[in-house]
Amino acid sequence: MTIQLISANHASAMAATLAGRANRNARGFGGGVYPITPQTECIELLCRQQFDKGSIVRVESEHSAMAVCMGMSVSGARTFTASSSNGLAYMAENVYAAAFSRLPIVMMAVNRTLGPPWNIWVDHGDTLMLRDAGWIQLYCQDNQEVADSIIFSYRLAEDARVLLPAMVCQDAFVLSHTMMETDLPEQEQVDRYLPDLDLPHRVKFDPVMIGGLDFPRETEVHRRQHQEALERVFDVYGECQDEFEEVFGRRPPDPVVPYCMDDAEIAFVSMGTTSSTTDTVVDKLRAEGIRAGSVRVRMYRPFPEKALTEMLANCERVGVLDRDISLGLGGVLWSEVRGCAPRALVQGYMLGLGGGDVRPQHIESLFRELAASSSAAAPKLVEVG
Amino acid sequence: MAEPILKGEYQSEVDRSEPILRAGNTNCGGCGMSVAYNMLSLAAAKHQLQFVIPACCGIVTPGQFPYSAYGAPVVASTFAAAAATASGLAATAQMNGEDTRVVCWAGDGGTYDIGMATVSAAAERNEDILYVCYDNEIYGNTGGQRSSATPLGAATTTTPAGKDIGKKDILAIMAAHRVPYAASISLGHADDAVDKFKKALNMSGFRFLHILAPCPTGWKSEAAEGIGLIRLAVSAGLFQVFEVWDGQRFEISIEPEFSRSALKSYMEKQGRFKEELVDLDAVEQAVRNSWDILSQRAKMSS
Amino acid sequence: MANQSLEIRLHGRGGQGGVTCAKILATVYSRLGKSVQTFGDYSGERSGAPVRAYTRVSDGPITNRNKVYEPDHLLVLDDNLLGETTVAGLAEGGALVVNTAKCEDDLAGDLGAWQLATVDATAIARRHGIGTRSVVIVNTTIAGAFCRVLGIDLAVLEETYEGLGFSSNFAAAKEAYEAVCVREDWESRGATADISVAALPEVGELVEHTHSPPTGLLTGSWSSQRPAYMEKLAPCSAWCPAGNDVVGFVRAAATEGEEAAAHILGRTTPLSATCGRVCPAPCMEGCNRAEYDGSVNIRGLERIVADNFPVARANRAPAADARSVAIIGGGPAGLAAAYELARAGQRATIFEHEAELGGVLRTGIPTYRLPREVLDQEVNGILALGVQARCGESVDAEQLGALAEEYDGVLLATGLQRLRGLDIPGAELGGIGQGIEFLHGVNLESAAGPLELSGHVVVLGGGNTAMDCARSALRCGAERVTVAYRRTRDAMPAIAEEIVEADHEGVVFLTQRQPVAFHPSVQDGARLGSLELAEVEMGEPDESGRRSPVVTDRTERLACEHVLLALGQSADLSCLPAGWQLEDDGRIDTGASAPKAAVRAAGDVTTWEGTVTHAIGSGRRAAGLLMVAAGIDVEVFERPDRARAVPATAIRFDHFEKREPALDRAADAAARVTDLREANLGLEDSAEALRCFSCGKCTECDTCLVYCPEGIISRHTENGRQRGYAVDESFCKGCGICVEECPRESMEMIEL
Repeated sequence: MTIQLISANHASAMAATLAGRANRNARGFGGGVYPITPQTECIELLCRQQFDKGSIVRVESEHSAMAVCMGMSVSGARTFTASSSNGLAYMAENVYAAAFSRLPIVMMAVNRTLGPPWNIWVDHGDTLMLRDAGWIQLYCQDNQEVADSIIFSYRLAEDARVLLPAMVCQDAFVLSHTMMETDLPEQEQVDRYLPDLDLPHRVKFDPVMIGGLDFPRETEVHRRQHQEALERVFDVYGECQDEFEEVFGRRPPDPVVPYCMDDAEIAFVSMGTTSSTTDTVVDKLRAEGIRAGSVRVRMYRPFPEKALTEMLANCERVGVLDRDISLGLGGVLWSEVRGCAPRALVQGYMLGLGGGDVRPQHIESLFRELAASSSAAAPKLVEVG
Repeated sequence: MAEPILKGEYQSEVDRSEPILRAGNTNCGGCGMSVAYNMLSLAAAKHQLQFVIPACCGIVTPGQFPYSAYGAPVVASTFAAAAATASGLAATAQMNGEDTRVVCWAGDGGTYDIGMATVSAAAERNEDILYVCYDNEIYGNTGGQRSSATPLGAATTTTPAGKDIGKKDILAIMAAHRVPYAASISLGHADDAVDKFKKALNMSGFRFLHILAPCPTGWKSEAAEGIGLIRLAVSAGLFQVFEVWDGQRFEISIEPEFSRSALKSYMEKQGRFKEELVDLDAVEQAVRNSWDILSQRAKMSS
Repeated sequence: MANQSLEIRLHGRGGQGGVTCAKILATVYSRLGKSVQTFGDYSGERSGAPVRAYTRVSDGPITNRNKVYEPDHLLVLDDNLLGETTVAGLAEGGALVVNTAKCEDDLAGDLGAWQLATVDATAIARRHGIGTRSVVIVNTTIAGAFCRVLGIDLAVLEETYEGLGFSSNFAAAKEAYEAVCVREDWESRGATADISVAALPEVGELVEHTHSPPTGLLTGSWSSQRPAYMEKLAPCSAWCPAGNDVVGFVRAAATEGEEAAAHILGRTTPLSATCGRVCPAPCMEGCNRAEYDGSVNIRGLERIVADNFPVARANRAPAADARSVAIIGGGPAGLAAAYELARAGQRATIFEHEAELGGVLRTGIPTYRLPREVLDQEVNGILALGVQARCGESVDAEQLGALAEEYDGVLLATGLQRLRGLDIPGAELGGIGQGIEFLHGVNLESAAGPLELSGHVVVLGGGNTAMDCARSALRCGAERVTVAYRRTRDAMPAIAEEIVEADHEGVVFLTQRQPVAFHPSVQDGARLGSLELAEVEMGEPDESGRRSPVVTDRTERLACEHVLLALGQSADLSCLPAGWQLEDDGRIDTGASAPKAAVRAAGDVTTWEGTVTHAIGSGRRAAGLLMVAAGIDVEVFERPDRARAVPATAIRFDHFEKREPALDRAADAAARVTDLREANLGLEDSAEALRCFSCGKCTECDTCLVYCPEGIISRHTENGRQRGYAVDESFCKGCGICVEECPRESMEMIEL
């Protein structure tokens, strides 16, 4: 193992490279890549890597980047791409198509605000826009988690019980361009962790139609199958964690990561690096004797409703910190967490939009506000500047 | 034409066990795309093919899951992404040392319009793809809207009074990419079609074939007359049949007769052409002008 | 009270206009003040595929947004769609309107529970030109039938069509309204099963999907027409007076070789080497390739085939109870008749007054056109089949009567023996002779020794005899030969090539000249010195379109030493016994004598057609008729009907490359006139056969197979050999491309 001080963009590229090389004895590795700030450094580094059996295709758009991944994946290769923001919006059609085709593509997504007006900084609106696309979505809070999640995602996505694409999300600049000490595993370890990809529905030379025409009856069954595969993710996830721990000596976080939740009366739910900030606030409040807790939703799809509901069962007040806004409604995460805390007062906050720097003071004041309130108000957009 | 055409070789010697497009497909009777598939079957007998087909009649014709009227593997791509998806398949085949012929089979909508950027990029990368554009000059799958391949004067559901501008010169566009091989195919000349399919299948790199494909439904013509219409288009010089190597070497496959009667007959046999919009003199002049340029280039390369 | 409502379901095929039909019905009810709703099933299927459409009608607002599962009435636009799933749910006693050409009993399934109404809307719409050949649009037509069944006033439909812009289709609707046949009675079948919710089919796992079976969709039911292969009459064969299978032998020469071609010729003629030299070749006149790049050189092909492989061959050995036929005259008609008889296993005896068989072929046609050894070989071929020849025997009336008692049949094939003279002043002068006699002399080198001519020889006439005389005269020492003919050169009945050859050899043509007098020589008053010719103008065309010559008084004199008359011949019937009469159809009425034999005439003696090929056909037919008269079951040759031949317009010229015909090779003109060696050397090889269009006769060229959009035409094998093609009808969409593309009209679309 080598510890390197690298950005999450580079960590992603190296993790993808390791996973890609691990499939060299099978049908190889590749993908289509297209630059977009703040993801560009990832694909630049990937394009500098050598592969015994690999092909990185420098395409003309995100739409084609995903299309190349689909073409390679359906013919049996392990595939990777990365994108962000408007790139994801442009790619969206093929993001859906990849999942509907049940192809275990892994994509690193740097969360960036959608424009125009143009804004290159973090919020989660871009990947949340794709929440219904049928992908597994993981949101990370540090560079190590980003690197590990990419390797972990291949294991999860390619599992015969799952066969779905996975998106590893990280916050723009806060992770993508921030250098952290990151432990990159040895190739031999990754080889051990990731079996050769053997896609059951790989296209060969037999007459077969992949992604052809469905009538209503076929579509309702295909959607059910897709849903069932996502439901199986929870069990497979645990196995993948166990194996990961065995090989790499550390355990990837659970789908829902609690912090001081055992006796929490008031808890804040968040995703990505906001959770990390929230945890520090919890420490401070706990020091004051307030039974505060923090919950990080690491796996947003499939949505860990059961785990969340159990975790929030004893909370009286739940605040949801969305780094996104579903315009005309409120926070996306809030609208889903509401259903997981039926007895609690659930208040939605949207903050850090467009890359606003969410500091502990902002979150602390929201904790105090929520602790004092007796009923939930409409979701609030908190301006942090 | 020697008899039998194609020297009778394909059925006796190199027949495919399955046609590329099987019977039981839902294409209209007399569909030009179907004819092209039949000819590709004859040419591709010995090759291992994988198809990528974007949204177009060709992706609806095989019927619904789990059946397929294709006797070959087909990956349905999104509308704009055929050439990119095919790039992926070709990349896997290449790195695994497989002699797969990846064929993109797209309509004019997926090629001239929504897929243009993707086709252009795959051509620029010189991906190992045979890209076939069956051009019926209309969005046939959605019921007949104009595309940038719709010719001057043709009425469509979105140009009910007739289109007031001509079509893109797709082969010039592809030739400008300097791809190893770009050619137009006349379905009215089976030898020409099968030879070019064979030629293109036996090459590597990006190959582009342009087929004018009669669409009896969209062209409002007799199904039986589709192939004859193509011969008229060729004879009139409307559809120019030639080959381009590396964007530089031009070779004419069939000399047109620039026959006015063929031009008239081509238009009269189709309900889509609005007479008042088509100035035959102007059309003939334009045809001759573009032919002059083409024949100059052909002379220069010989 | 609940709203009165009505639900109509419609079954049709893509392109027939089913959705529009449902809309028409809805519009009709809307005009009648009802609330309506109408919609179709939309899917990815195409022209010809089954589709459904629905119309819902009510007195009040309609809230139902579902498809119609239990219709009150049903419209079926194509009777092939009738079946359990189509009629499922239809209310008992409801109207079942079916577009069909069948009568109701022939429709599929038990339709007794409904009020069945049938109308052939396709035929009506087709008559009114609605739609295309392969897809007839029947919606506006069948709506008329529906209105009649439901008792809706036709005027409402007319208004509806005006509103929808369909007025031009109203006449067809009206016709259907009037033509629909309604069965009023129906029988209750008791309760029917609830079909509204069917069991859901299984659908496989997407990630296990690695193989797609064919759809099993039988698209053959989409169409009302089918291609069929058929052999049609080629014009060359239709034009051949001898009844040769011309296209057959030419194709055989192209594909199987000359021997196979000779076999085919031998079925109808023993004289192909002869015809290949002297026939005027009407086949080439009929040849469709003439309209494209020149007729196939069929005569040349017949010659090369027969030169390399003699055609005459036995069909079967003489029968034990063979009939005997006496043939008077060993010319082409007699020889052909004898051959026909011999091939049918009958006994033929030819009576020929010359020393050898051949008739005019031997005596009239110069050897530079028909070498003796060629004729001898063909005659010997006939004799080898057991035909008896009694040469040197003339038959007079008495003998003819006797033969009619001795034989089962008698055929008079004596040709034209009487020569036409010229009744003008000076006709008695020395140096004037009959061309036929001159040729006879040349050909048989008569006792008088080889004929020698000198000076200027004028031949009068424009037929083959005239050309033969002119060209023979050159070979017999004439210094100069002129052919004088009263019409234009184009109107000359001689074979065109013969005229050209004569021209090449130096014969001068003087046309539109009529002889009016012979003048004696100054030196010898008993001999011819000059010929006076009057100019002729061409008058108005007569009934046959031929301009009749009008003699003017402008004359000129042509100094000459010899004149050969080639003005035509006529039959000499002096050999017929008293009371016998030659009828127009070639039958000889034996009057009261009633001999044992049936008696007929054949060849020029009856037809006056003057060519070898006509004589052969005539001889064959007469032989057949004589055999039938003698109680033998044979097929009698009948000249084909030219009107039935495939016309040039049916040939797809663009399937063929232009290629000039291969011409016969000619011996050098200057050298050849010095002797009687064959002037025409024929074709180099039989490659010319490849030019044949093979009109109406499938050549297995694969065009249909290559262009078939469905790929469902396959080569058909019989006993390990390919024999044409098979169309998989269960998938044929009836587009008609195969038929349209067939280069040679050997396919046709058949309406089902």
